[in-house]
Amino acid sequence: MSELVSTIQKVLAETGLVLGWSATGAGGVAAPERFHTAEEAEVAIFDSTCVHNLSVHLPRLKGRAVGIVAKACDARSIVELIAEREVDGDQVRVIEVSCTDTLDVKAIWRRYGYGALIEDDGSELRVNGEPVEREAFVQAKCLDCEDRQPATPAGKPVPSGSKPANARQQLREDFQAMSVGERRAFWREQYARCIRCHACREACPMCYCRDVCIMQTTDPHWTGGGINTAEAEMMQLIRVNHLAGRCTACGECERACPVGIPLMLLMEEQNRAIEEMFDYRAGVDPEAKPPLLTFDIKGDSWDGE
Amino acid sequence: MKATEPLRPEPATVLEVITETTNIRTFRIAFDDPALAESFSFLPGQIGQLSIMGAGESTFALSSAPSRRGSFDFSVMKTGVVTSAIHELSAGDRVAVRAPMGCAFPTDDWKGKNIVLVGGGIGMAPLRSLLFYLLDNREDYGDMTLVYGARTPGDLCYAEDRRDWESRADLDFAATIDTACAGWDGCVGLVPSVVEEKAPSPENAVAVTCGPPIMIKFALQSLDKTGFREEQIYTTLERRMKCGIGLCGRCNLGPKYVCTDGPVFSLAELRELPDEL
Amino acid sequence: MKFISSEKIPGFLEALSARSTVWAPRELTGSGGTVMFERWRPGDPIDLEHYSSLSAKDVVLPRTEKLFGYTYAFGGSPFSGGLGASGTAVAASDSDQAPATSGEQIVIKPAEPAPSTVLFGVRACDAKSIQVLDALFNNPGGEGYNDPQYSARREGLTVITLACTTCDDACFCSSFENGASEKAGSDLILYPVDGGFLAEGVTGKGGELLSEPFFEESELAPPPLAETAVIEGLERLQEILPGLFDDLDFWERVSERCVSCGFCTYGCPTCHCFNIHDEMQGDREGERLRSWDACMFALYTQETSGHNPRPTLAHRYRNRINHKFSYYPENQGEILCTGCGRCIRGCPAALDIRDVLRDALKAARKE
Repeated sequence: MSELVSTIQKVLAETGLVLGWSATGAGGVAAPERFHTAEEAEVAIFDSTCVHNLSVHLPRLKGRAVGIVAKACDARSIVELIAEREVDGDQVRVIEVSCTDTLDVKAIWRRYGYGALIEDDGSELRVNGEPVEREAFVQAKCLDCEDRQPATPAGKPVPSGSKPANARQQLREDFQAMSVGERRAFWREQYARCIRCHACREACPMCYCRDVCIMQTTDPHWTGGGINTAEAEMMQLIRVNHLAGRCTACGECERACPVGIPLMLLMEEQNRAIEEMFDYRAGVDPEAKPPLLTFDIKGDSWDGE
Repeated sequence: MKATEPLRPEPATVLEVITETTNIRTFRIAFDDPALAESFSFLPGQIGQLSIMGAGESTFALSSAPSRRGSFDFSVMKTGVVTSAIHELSAGDRVAVRAPMGCAFPTDDWKGKNIVLVGGGIGMAPLRSLLFYLLDNREDYGDMTLVYGARTPGDLCYAEDRRDWESRADLDFAATIDTACAGWDGCVGLVPSVVEEKAPSPENAVAVTCGPPIMIKFALQSLDKTGFREEQIYTTLERRMKCGIGLCGRCNLGPKYVCTDGPVFSLAELRELPDEL
Repeated sequence: MKFISSEKIPGFLEALSARSTVWAPRELTGSGGTVMFERWRPGDPIDLEHYSSLSAKDVVLPRTEKLFGYTYAFGGSPFSGGLGASGTAVAASDSDQAPATSGEQIVIKPAEPAPSTVLFGVRACDAKSIQVLDALFNNPGGEGYNDPQYSARREGLTVITLACTTCDDACFCSSFENGASEKAGSDLILYPVDGGFLAEGVTGKGGELLSEPFFEESELAPPPLAETAVIEGLERLQEILPGLFDDLDFWERVSERCVSCGFCTYGCPTCHCFNIHDEMQGDREGERLRSWDACMFALYTQETSGHNPRPTLAHRYRNRINHKFSYYPENQGEILCTGCGRCIRGCPAALDIRDVLRDALKAARKE
């Protein structure tokens, strides 16, 4: 029995519920699971296909004890949820797993067909038995991960001179080279295909307003109900603003987007700006408050008197 | 309603606004097209969609007498965005309407039977239309009982109609309020207990109840105690609706759509449907 | 059968695009490999290799469509430009009981007419899904509802289907009667062969296209079509699901992975639930729109009072499965699913509808 399984079973004895993964997804990749008993937990796995940020389920489970298997990046979401009082820290047992990177499973399947056999021993990645270039199919967020590349803080551009490891990193480099006008045109082209399914919002652990989200309510009626470029742009600007200082850069919005809009490009820019301006990263300290909630111009240009 | 363009409402004008309670108003409306205004007809229990362009569209029971030609009534309780906009309307304002929709009370099947109507609050709206219809065809039906209740006298709708109903010898009418208060010399007590006191005979009778869910729940218990069986009891349902024609997928109870298969259901029919109210 | 070589496809589409709007699948730039049906113009690339990420249902049910426009206008006098294509006047009521009109008249303007459209390169499952939607929306002159805008688009639509000789792990069209050889909904079917495609006219509309000069006679035999994974007994779900309705534990269990992102409904070729909403443009003009909506959202059924008849994700998922495999078959005689697999490929939480259906069939056997 793996160490992970026995840890989950220990936590289960206390909580009665653990969120984790089994290998029951298509082609044997990871799928999110809820383990209730020691027996159910025997199939628990952790590997590079465990891409999902399971903390998205925590606000819905508020009020009950729960264990959760989490990567370092997922743990940041949990910390932020605790900081925002959406999750009761005393009720959550985090089972942190060490992780080198996770795969962009969707990209692999787009290339090799849905359900193609993915085998990964941590260094060599094989699809349908053939070795493939690993970095091309690693989630971009993992390539920037502090745990993986300690010299490159999250969100910082890849140092000039080094070649982006995959297409998604290349896209970020291209985006950062754009003028404001070019960026505007770029986003309009991207948003044109938004179908307003709200997958970005629903997959985001921090978007827990869900049922009262102003992107859908008619009272207040701040966004129109139409599905078009202008509404999609408005929707994403609201989302980005609402996540200012709260986004833990897990990238689930972008992973969930069924039409491949690179949503994290904008979020990364904002995260970097907030880090530079306020020396603040979301999801690091459960006692911290997002700077835009605490921002006080007292002592700055205006003293409030 | 034009059969060819079911989602497009017809322009109409508010003729009169009657303030019923602090949050319920009745809007008397006529279609602008004179031919349509004259030919428009509906049956008791049917519903319509009232539009304020820009605010949207909401579903209401047609609450007027089906025999009245040239205009019809919607009684509207102010609850949300559209109903708040509707409450801003005054006589002469332009609206648009899709009506009639849904199925009616099976009044033909009830001929020769005694009728018991049990209404609460805004739930009186479809019953008012039904009562008008029954009184217009009074000779077709037996004994008629109406219990209509609200929390306070000020929460009872249709003051003018009530005066008429009270004066009629061929209608046993009790208006009731929840708790006694100064200036009210009528019946006091919750609707279900008044029904139990009256104990109308279930023999050759049907009962129709409409009101807030909690009132319906206890009224059904009272009717059950009085001996009414499920197939003798009818109600009208409310659900969030958009299209009103069985397409958009909101108001279904299992395979049945409240907007087209309802809003009128017998309790026996409801028992056959999934419990998703 | 007739044959068209691969090189001649762009020319064929160009000829079609001269008289119709052509939609074809293409990989969108900067989209990480997203393939969508888009308006095709001469010179545009086409991706016939990958499955499209979204279905082509926009062609018959646009993401957002104008039901009508409206204008508020002062004045009580009758004026023209109102109802219907014939331009019947919107007249102020001039009967005795009409009060002086303090309000503004509303002029209702019809939506634009539907264009003639060719949908190129859909698979059999997507063509079939159009026929499944027809059962609800398109009954001209017959019994049942006829949606004038859907019906007009459908009338002007020609569907050219690409037959599947391969499939992937998410496909399950073989669970349905005809599987990959389904012809319903197609006007013309292209079968991939060496160097091009064999073409079979299914309807008169499709057959006529074969007389275009791009096609030649061929002795080639059509290729064997794909056989996908099969779920046995889907048609029995209509009887089985009502019995599972009250087992909320079941629905909670099968939907526990779900994060209630709306993709499975938005990507589905048969999901058609919609919202109707008004959008003003300034103070006096606006449009009433019909837009895609999803039964997986809480606000979809939430009532103004705050009461929600489907309060949890499990309630909403139960309705989704029941609508597809029980209510729609009961009301329309068609299963509201064609096995295209998009909800499986695109689910961010690895929820596989086939597991749910198998569980439902299994649960019924146990009882």
